[in-house]
Amino acid sequence: MSFQRFIRNDVLPLGWCPGCGLHALFYATCEVLDELDKTNTIIVSGIGCTARGAGFFNLDSVHGIHGRAIPLAVGVKAVNPDLNVVVFSGEGDITGIGGNHLLHVARRDDNIVVICNNNEVFAMTGGQSSPTTRIGGKTLTAPEGNVMQPLNIQGIITSNKRFFYARATPVFKEHLKECLKQAFEYDGFVFVEIVFPCIENYSKKMDQTIACVLKDLKGKYKICNENRMLKDDELGIFRSE
Amino acid sequence: MKKLLSGNEAIVEGALVAGLKFFSAYPITPASDIMQGIVKKQEQVKFIQAEDEIAAVNMCIGASLAGAKVMTATSGPGFSLKQETIGLAFKLPTPLVIVNSQRVGPSTGMPTLGSQGDILQSKSGSHGDYVNIVLYPNSVEECFRYTIEALNAAEESLSPVILLSDGMLSHIYETVDLDSIKYSLKNRKRKPLGEEKRHFTGLLSKNDRPQTKDSQVYREWYYERKKKILDVAEKYNFYEYIENKNADTLLVAFGITSRIILPLKKKYSIFRPIRMFPVIEELKEIAKKYSKIIVIEMNDGQYRHELEAFLKRDIYSVTQLGGKISLKEIENELSKIYSE
Repeated sequence: MSFQRFIRNDVLPLGWCPGCGLHALFYATCEVLDELDKTNTIIVSGIGCTARGAGFFNLDSVHGIHGRAIPLAVGVKAVNPDLNVVVFSGEGDITGIGGNHLLHVARRDDNIVVICNNNEVFAMTGGQSSPTTRIGGKTLTAPEGNVMQPLNIQGIITSNKRFFYARATPVFKEHLKECLKQAFEYDGFVFVEIVFPCIENYSKKMDQTIACVLKDLKGKYKICNENRMLKDDELGIFRSE
Repeated sequence: MKKLLSGNEAIVEGALVAGLKFFSAYPITPASDIMQGIVKKQEQVKFIQAEDEIAAVNMCIGASLAGAKVMTATSGPGFSLKQETIGLAFKLPTPLVIVNSQRVGPSTGMPTLGSQGDILQSKSGSHGDYVNIVLYPNSVEECFRYTIEALNAAEESLSPVILLSDGMLSHIYETVDLDSIKYSLKNRKRKPLGEEKRHFTGLLSKNDRPQTKDSQVYREWYYERKKKILDVAEKYNFYEYIENKNADTLLVAFGITSRIILPLKKKYSIFRPIRMFPVIEELKEIAKKYSKIIVIEMNDGQYRHELEAFLKRDIYSVTQLGGKISLKEIENELSKIYSE
């Protein structure tokens, strides 16, 4: 249980809703940090449910402003390249308001890891549409169902010459941990997309219980072991080298 | 040895002497040549040309927390974009120096004629209550000197410090002997990221844990933070007072404007704040000697309003708008005040 050395015991229980995938993502991240003995890790986040996670790690961490976790992390890494700098934030933060930074950090191939929890909505503010809300997804701002294409994050990351993109879900924990392990050991920019829809402010509107969400994730996703562009229903790692 | 330098070049020289270790910026006239100056000094300073103004200042925040002395440079439009991050630097807290070479606004305005339109924004452009130190030199030599002081004040107060310039001051060339300028340096005691287990957050927090519903915690935190910055500001009590014993009027001017009106010292007393904010306390005593106080500035009376509140009396305003400044125009405006 030595992964607990990465958890701030005085903040327990974690402030996320029951059933949220962030609990399992957080613990998996701590386990991998422990297995790799990454005590030189700095967690950087922006604003949102996922971003609150920065305060739960027993590490030096920075919880900045909305959308700006990536440039802040780049600044940390620039001054101290020996640190393992990890952004832990949501898709609204990373691909919405902070979208420009994502384009450019991937282009520059800055040596940081982004763990982006994609829950398809702005969860902390009550469940408005996010850049990745699926077509038909019901949100506070699309009560009849979203009609716009969700953002293709994999496409953005892998359009660069050198890239590392992984997609995982806490439902398949061992696969998630394998993705995180490779991510922390990669030299360059890493994007790990975590798929797990928000339970409280999204799935319930879609008349889905926690059990339905878990069953759907298990049924939908297959793990791809080939190094290639992932299909929408696949988890895996696509990297340029 | 004497050197011919522009205001912006002197800012670069000052930053290097002060121990700048990280600089990030986005191109914008009339501030870009500060960035171009840093580019040539990359053996001393880690430099990143950021993808946008907000990225530049947030990279500075990260670098600052990681232990570096940091600075970014911009002009009005970029300064507007950086405002949210100024509040973050105040809250975290962490040292940060932002140079704002002012140009005519609002919006894209009259690029890139000089202006003094960002005086109020430099004090309270970010949301919520905060205080910060604002310095405004008026010569190439002072650009050097007060860049060092801005970095010192940021380190000492662990807070954002704004170094104002203007399009004219940024690009005037003067000969200066940098070696003859005396200065001391301040260094941070706080350990850089990676050496402890702290949580730096923009949320109100106590003992690293969010305290977002406790007004008492907020009040204690805010007044302590404010006091810390005001205490540090007292050590940076920079101003110039040119007293004319025969004058019953005090002119107040700063930056390039104070250079233009200097010949008026034959007729008036002149007060020039270098630390624009917090407003210089001594001005209260100085002001008592004069029946009239007139602020001359390249904006629509921004510092005049500040001084009216500070001195609790009516203050006259002479404005020079639209990027043009003329001693003759100023003299005409002054004579109108006297014929009223």
